[in-house]
Amino acid sequence: MLIVVLLLLLCSLAAGLVSLAAPARAGAAITVVSGLASFGLVLAVAGTAAHRDIAYLPYLRIDALSVIFMLATGFLYAALAVYSVGYVTEETGHEDPADAHRYARRFYAGLNLFCWAMLAAPMMNSLALLWIAIEITTVVSALLVALEGTDGSAEAAWKYVLIASAGLGLALLATIFAYVAGAQVLGGRYDLALPPLLHAGAALPHTPVRLAFMLAVLGYGTKMGLFPVHTWLPDAHSEAPAPVSALLSASLLADSFYAILRYYQVTAAATGSGFPREVLLAFGVASLLLAALQVLQQPNLKRLLAYSSIEHMGILAIGVSFGAPAALAGVMLHVLAHAAAKGNAFMGAGVFTVKFGSTQLSAHRGALGLLPWSGPLFLAAVLALSAMPPFGIFRSEFQIVAGGLGSGRYAATAVLIILVTVAFSGLTASASRTLLQPPQALRPARPAAAGTDAGSAAADGTIPPGPAASEEGSPATDGPGGRAVVAVLDRPAAAAGRVLTRGEPSAWMVVPAVAGMIALLVLGLHPPAELTGLMARAAAQLGGVA
Amino acid sequence: MSAALPVPVIQALQVLTIAVGAPWVSGVIARMEARLQGRRGPRVLQPYYDLAKLFRKEALAPEGASWVFLAAPVAAVASYLTIPLLIPVLTSYGLPLGYMGDILGGGFMLSLASFLVAIAALETGSPYAQIGASRAKTFSAITEPVVLFVVFTASMLTGTDLPYAVAATVRSSAGQIVAPGHLLASAALFLVILHETSRIPVETHTGTNEFGMIDEARPFEHSGPYLGLLTWSSQIKQFVLYTLLLNVFLAPWGLSSTAQAGSVGLAILALLGKAALLGIIVAVIDNSFAKLRLFKITEFVSGAFLLAVLAVFTFYLGGV
Amino acid sequence: MGPVHVAGAYRGVVDILAALTLVVEFGMLRQALARDQIRLYAAQSALISVLAIVIGAGRGLTGLFALAGLSAALKVVAIPLVMRRLLRGPGRGGSGPAEAPGVAGSLSLSLASTVLWSLGLAAFGAFTFTAMNIHSPVAPAAALAIAAAMVLVSFALMIVRRDAVSQAIGYFSLDNAISLASLVVAAGLPLILETLFLFDLLVAVVVFGLLMRARHARGQSLSTAGLTKLRG
Repeated sequence: MLIVVLLLLLCSLAAGLVSLAAPARAGAAITVVSGLASFGLVLAVAGTAAHRDIAYLPYLRIDALSVIFMLATGFLYAALAVYSVGYVTEETGHEDPADAHRYARRFYAGLNLFCWAMLAAPMMNSLALLWIAIEITTVVSALLVALEGTDGSAEAAWKYVLIASAGLGLALLATIFAYVAGAQVLGGRYDLALPPLLHAGAALPHTPVRLAFMLAVLGYGTKMGLFPVHTWLPDAHSEAPAPVSALLSASLLADSFYAILRYYQVTAAATGSGFPREVLLAFGVASLLLAALQVLQQPNLKRLLAYSSIEHMGILAIGVSFGAPAALAGVMLHVLAHAAAKGNAFMGAGVFTVKFGSTQLSAHRGALGLLPWSGPLFLAAVLALSAMPPFGIFRSEFQIVAGGLGSGRYAATAVLIILVTVAFSGLTASASRTLLQPPQALRPARPAAAGTDAGSAAADGTIPPGPAASEEGSPATDGPGGRAVVAVLDRPAAAAGRVLTRGEPSAWMVVPAVAGMIALLVLGLHPPAELTGLMARAAAQLGGVA
Repeated sequence: MSAALPVPVIQALQVLTIAVGAPWVSGVIARMEARLQGRRGPRVLQPYYDLAKLFRKEALAPEGASWVFLAAPVAAVASYLTIPLLIPVLTSYGLPLGYMGDILGGGFMLSLASFLVAIAALETGSPYAQIGASRAKTFSAITEPVVLFVVFTASMLTGTDLPYAVAATVRSSAGQIVAPGHLLASAALFLVILHETSRIPVETHTGTNEFGMIDEARPFEHSGPYLGLLTWSSQIKQFVLYTLLLNVFLAPWGLSSTAQAGSVGLAILALLGKAALLGIIVAVIDNSFAKLRLFKITEFVSGAFLLAVLAVFTFYLGGV
Repeated sequence: MGPVHVAGAYRGVVDILAALTLVVEFGMLRQALARDQIRLYAAQSALISVLAIVIGAGRGLTGLFALAGLSAALKVVAIPLVMRRLLRGPGRGGSGPAEAPGVAGSLSLSLASTVLWSLGLAAFGAFTFTAMNIHSPVAPAAALAIAAAMVLVSFALMIVRRDAVSQAIGYFSLDNAISLASLVVAAGLPLILETLFLFDLLVAVVVFGLLMRARHARGQSLSTAGLTKLRG
């Protein structure tokens, strides 16, 4: 088992470092191999961790709680590694082959290093190493967000790195106060390892522990997307390349939640779970409210999905605040199901971006007809995110609500249900409204006023003339008789007035989405008994108290 | 060797020292500045000669000016000379009249004098004098809270704001002077003194720069003995503020603890020496920095306010 | 240790150094030129290194000397050097930035209002922490309250300023504040962890630098006043 764990730790790191130097093709292959291998290794570890905690060297410790998050990251790593092969080849932002090559190399290196840090974080034994791992994820993902090289991505990356680093500064303070609490009981040489802190339990002084928890929620909550420190999230998730957005939404937010959960464990052991649960409830409801409202009126697909991520993080926080074992098990399932669903959604969004050349919802009309695989898969992912049966998220939210009602938190549960319904309507309506419409007729556009800085007329050869009018975000105009309005990104080479034929851009981008859908269905209909056992163990470790 | 001086004599000596020593301090500063600029500079006793010359000259008053115009210089000198009775100038023990008022009372006297001079300037109808008066009052609206905060800092230290008590506490241990709250308060008070005595970076003390004048513009219309009194009063104010900073906050040593004539004499010399030293520091600052533009003076004074507030904080937090 | 007055002097010195770092923080808030902000940051880092040495000497924690040296090398020398180089831009020629890179961008509030708000924030932070009664055997509790005040003021610095360099300096001074807090309450934290935190700061600096350089190289100013496109 030691070999497995070490391999898991080192494989993606090695992959990342090699892809920095290797040419793009080799990098792609290495990434795919590393992703699939890591997922396999995580499954192997999961089998053992369902029965006992694994601990090696003073630094590594894997228990059921960590495995849940590692499963989420591992699955996404494998799926997105395959997906990226297609995405990077099809991504038309770079005309110059040297540019495209450099983009691809950096992309693969960044992807591997990002996944390495996210896999390593749940494996760390000490709170300090946990902080360092999450700081590394911030740093790597900021560079990834800025990879596109556009104005928007530069703005998003700067905002992200500033706000996230400031938040992690607060989290560092939390770590220091955890040390203060621990040192008073365990002596000045205490090195922030987790098990001794949990053992000390009620002997820990209350004030530093509570202070540490508050700071941890604020600090790690910045990276998790809790209101009010979520402001970087929509920008970063919408400006990053689609696979990176998927990892950010589904995996990084979850890892930050994992960090908060560790502080929750310590605080619950020291002061009882009343205080931390109230805090999490407050932040969860606030985030859910904000996200539900914002989801009602988003014209940009990836921003829509980003706000949906905030919504689900809020649901996670509320679930933990209920405290019942059923609710906590629901939270664990939700982490897994959300990872699969959000990964699928962003993968679909990536296909749409490649196909239609834009991330605005208005440009995605008729996607169901034009993309025989990705269209329906995306629709299914959106329905899954809105907690439709038979997908996994329905099951997990049902468990959370059941836990809440069972532990007598009627008001909070009612608020949860109302807000989730609001978010459901917003998400489903926005996404399906444009998907289900017939594709717009393809007529040559009259040369209209050159719009923004968007690249103009790299006109496709087969299309009858016309630089298309480029307008950002305008709703599609009239029906078949109208102008073809294609909104473009501010990428110079986006071909305006492209031909939209039926067909998938790349098979590489479809297979992972199918795998994700299968996972969602399995999680929703009949999660394997081992998995259920794992989740129950994790819930117990969190201290399922009614 | 020395006879014990009766207390009223010591009391009178305090006022006399300030009154007579003030022009000397100004002279030292002027000479030091000139030396730093590479000139020989006026003699140190020049201000006395200037005062004497002014007292011999004819006095004019603008039409329409009332008795306030004529009374203000006298009232100003009188107010400023009251303050040496309240603060430790020569002795480390409280003198009877010293309990007449505390630091706040001293602050009020300073403002009273400034207020009277401003009123007199307003009376004249001359544009420069009026500008000077209005500017002076505007900026003092910001500096007054600073002085109050500094006073609060000092009084939190001792529980009273009697200057003698504060000085005694500061003198009691070396650790007190090194306390951060104390140093911050002294720094804030120093900045306020720069403002009140019309030094760089607030004003140019020498020469007439009409567009930048604040305090210097107020005596524009006075002449003869009245101008002499006003000049003397500003020198007295300068010396009084220096004494406050030195004998209460920064360097409360050299004060006589007995009533012996010898030690009182030494105290006089010590005071003059310390004031001269502070004056030299002010001269160096004068020559090192540029005058601030008028609207930036609020930033300067807000800096002093910042230091004073931080002084209160650190006192409150650390109890030091 | 020694008689009472020795302990008093140690306490006084620690308090003064902590108070001075807070004063420097406010100084950074008031500065208009980016170059001066960087100098003040270097001064603040130097103060914290000196404080580490004082605490190490006063309480016999020799690990702090190494820490002081390391953090001085990094924060007093390396980081200001990197920032200054970034300010100079990627070389002359071509379309330069829209505004002189040396002048920190405009404040979103006036300076006086900023200072008042920051004083309020500092008071809030300091008194909250005092009310929590967290005592440390190593240093007076006032220093912890000052560190809390400094954290809040550095947030104010990041929020109020409209240019990338000031925001980055704000983040670095946040890190200084946390170092101060850790010196006060966590002086026994194993050296290896402190070193890791420091190297993490280095990595963050590299990333900040890369991002700023990316913007600068595309001919844009370092002002973030124009970064308002992504909304809603």
